[in-house]
Amino acid sequence: MKPLQCIGQWRKCIFHFHSAITFIPLRKAKTSCFTGPFNSGLLLPNVLSALQRLGDHPRRSYLQNTCTLWECEIFQNYLQSLSKEHERLTEMLGQTSVREDDRRSASRRHSELSRLIGLLRDIKETEQDVRELELMCADNREEGQMLALALEEKNTLKQNINKLRGKLLQALLPHEKYDMNDAVLEVTSGRTTGGDICQQFTKEIFDMYQNYAYYKSWSFEILNYSPAEYGGLHHAAARISGEGVYKRLKYEGGTHRVQRIPEVGLSSRMQRIHTGTMTVIVLPQPDEVEVKIDSKDLRIDTFRSKGAGGQHVNTTDSAVRIVHIPTGIAVECQQERSQIANKEKALRILRMRLYEQTVEQELLERRSARKLQVGTRAQSERIRTYNFTQDRLTDHRIHYEVRNIKEFLNGEELLDDLIQKLQESADTEAILELIENYSVTHGK
Amino acid sequence: MYLQTLLLRRLLQSVSPTWLPCRWLGGGEMSPSKLVRHWQSIFHDHGVPEPQESSEILIAHALGSKTFPSLPPSVAHTSVSVAQLRHIESMAQQRLKRVPIQYVIGEWDFLDITLQMRPPVFIPRPETEELVGLVLGASRRLQCSAEPLVLEVGCGSGAVSLSLLQRLPQARITAIDKTKAAVKLTEDNAVSLGLQNQIQVLLLDILADPPDPLLMWGPVDVLVSNPPYISTSDISQLDPEIVKYEDHAALDGGPDGMDVIRGILSFAPRLLKPGGDIFLEVDPSHPERIKLWIQDHTDTHLQYISTVQDFCGRSRFVHLRRD
Repeated sequence: MKPLQCIGQWRKCIFHFHSAITFIPLRKAKTSCFTGPFNSGLLLPNVLSALQRLGDHPRRSYLQNTCTLWECEIFQNYLQSLSKEHERLTEMLGQTSVREDDRRSASRRHSELSRLIGLLRDIKETEQDVRELELMCADNREEGQMLALALEEKNTLKQNINKLRGKLLQALLPHEKYDMNDAVLEVTSGRTTGGDICQQFTKEIFDMYQNYAYYKSWSFEILNYSPAEYGGLHHAAARISGEGVYKRLKYEGGTHRVQRIPEVGLSSRMQRIHTGTMTVIVLPQPDEVEVKIDSKDLRIDTFRSKGAGGQHVNTTDSAVRIVHIPTGIAVECQQERSQIANKEKALRILRMRLYEQTVEQELLERRSARKLQVGTRAQSERIRTYNFTQDRLTDHRIHYEVRNIKEFLNGEELLDDLIQKLQESADTEAILELIENYSVTHGK
Repeated sequence: MYLQTLLLRRLLQSVSPTWLPCRWLGGGEMSPSKLVRHWQSIFHDHGVPEPQESSEILIAHALGSKTFPSLPPSVAHTSVSVAQLRHIESMAQQRLKRVPIQYVIGEWDFLDITLQMRPPVFIPRPETEELVGLVLGASRRLQCSAEPLVLEVGCGSGAVSLSLLQRLPQARITAIDKTKAAVKLTEDNAVSLGLQNQIQVLLLDILADPPDPLLMWGPVDVLVSNPPYISTSDISQLDPEIVKYEDHAALDGGPDGMDVIRGILSFAPRLLKPGGDIFLEVDPSHPERIKLWIQDHTDTHLQYISTVQDFCGRSRFVHLRRD
């Protein structure tokens, strides 16, 4: 069963790069769903051997950095084959007998690779400089001042190497279509018994993201807000805009679970641990929503629909509810004092909802194509548990634990750290997947 | 109606001005949401309409936000200070006297601008926001002339003129109103939005005064108005907020609600450039009457272009054009 076990690890293994460029296998080595129909022929011998090496110490904890992605054989092999491909293409483009469309696709790939190869060359050169410096340090032990200078120089070069490696990895990563877009974040309370615990939790989570937006200096515009009793929240939606919002928030989508002894509300009468859930949906907001809506398809309800309207009434309830008759989608907005502003906002949400259907489909297809462990998953999957009684938060995807839930819910460093970890894990998975695909298509 | 007011007065007298805060001022922590529920139930018990909205807006205003849901979480979770409690208390007492919420907080939003609101100047209604959209979308002359001139009759707080100006930086607007308070408020709002150089506000009654001052900049491309259009007999049926605090001159349109409308239509040919547009907000019963009036007054050279519905589907706006 060795190969099968390896596939499980393949899915679970976590690489670390960016600053640390480390690579960490996870505690859980085997997942039942991967032991079944998977065919070991999918993985190539060199990939397998590298993964088997990882499998030897499956219980290593998250923080023990053992092996860097950079030192990893499969990764180096991949870089080497990219170099070879580049050389081959350079040669091919130099020949005159190449067909025109072959030439076009080859030159596109060539220019893509040239950038990577350039970075790789820079890294190699810098590494060479470091080695020379090291030799120099070994020779000139007597000159203290020179030595200090050389050491300083060496540190700078090492930092440069790390920067260049980061750049190279970013360049290797497949470009995600919506990463730089704004996002719409929606929270919905779960419907388990004793719903008030879910609603309170929903409120806490929504506040957390609102604070996170402040923390990241993003703008946070509430589109919809339906409060519940005992200070809870049924549902809310907000548009978050800023730099790379979707890239940062996309891993937050999913079911968040809470375990606590409630303090207020109906469930607080019984002093026992309750479990509740809420879901977060994060969807990229396109720069320009191009969804045409026919005004005939809309039914618009306002508080002023009854009675005479106009100068006859002075009401302050500016809430607007719009129903899109063909799809039955209903949206409501009550955030603004101006009714037209609410109507425009509601229409924007409606356009977004209609657009969501398309995006959701697209993301779903990409997900099933990529089978990522961390990546953006189906929005219904459970991703995190907030255990208040033990003051412990667990992210189930990367088995990451945080001890101070209260601080985490402030939506500052702790949340940011976790998101960073998720991001790194997802990036690593993407790179590994890239290597796998490359090995398959290039038959090496 | 009289009886209702009497009952209301009695109810209000039973609310001692010091009793309400005492009940909880000494009680320590008071979160904004608890406070909302507190005043909501008091408003409800005293028959104040929209008790929840009123309560939320007052409290949000005292805490520095426009609406309750837009309070930043840090504020929403801290207990309200004593000074803020006093502020809320004094505003809530006014609301109990049925003062419209817009007067209580002294401001309101119209489209994307925030305007100061002062009694008894008419508080703009949401329907009028659509009037602005209609003017911008349907006036040919406004779109093609380089420096369009607009006249607004009955500007009130300045909502229509100022929101038009904000979207038409090249335009110049003459706004008139027959009450001093409205003229002053429009001027103040123009200054606070930095639009005072594009607008002249005149104290003028279109039914009584000669319209000559209106031609200072020459004939206009667009005439827009939300004239008083409620019939005199209906006025007393309106909510106390309107009857007691808003200027009847901005509401009462005479026996059939058409007095000022007719006045505008009679003067319009003299004020408008040929091909210039008129946009009016009216009562849903008025469009048909306006059509008839134009048929009877062919000398005005006015052409009835269209009736436009408001967001509730009522025939609320009338578009006319000078031949």
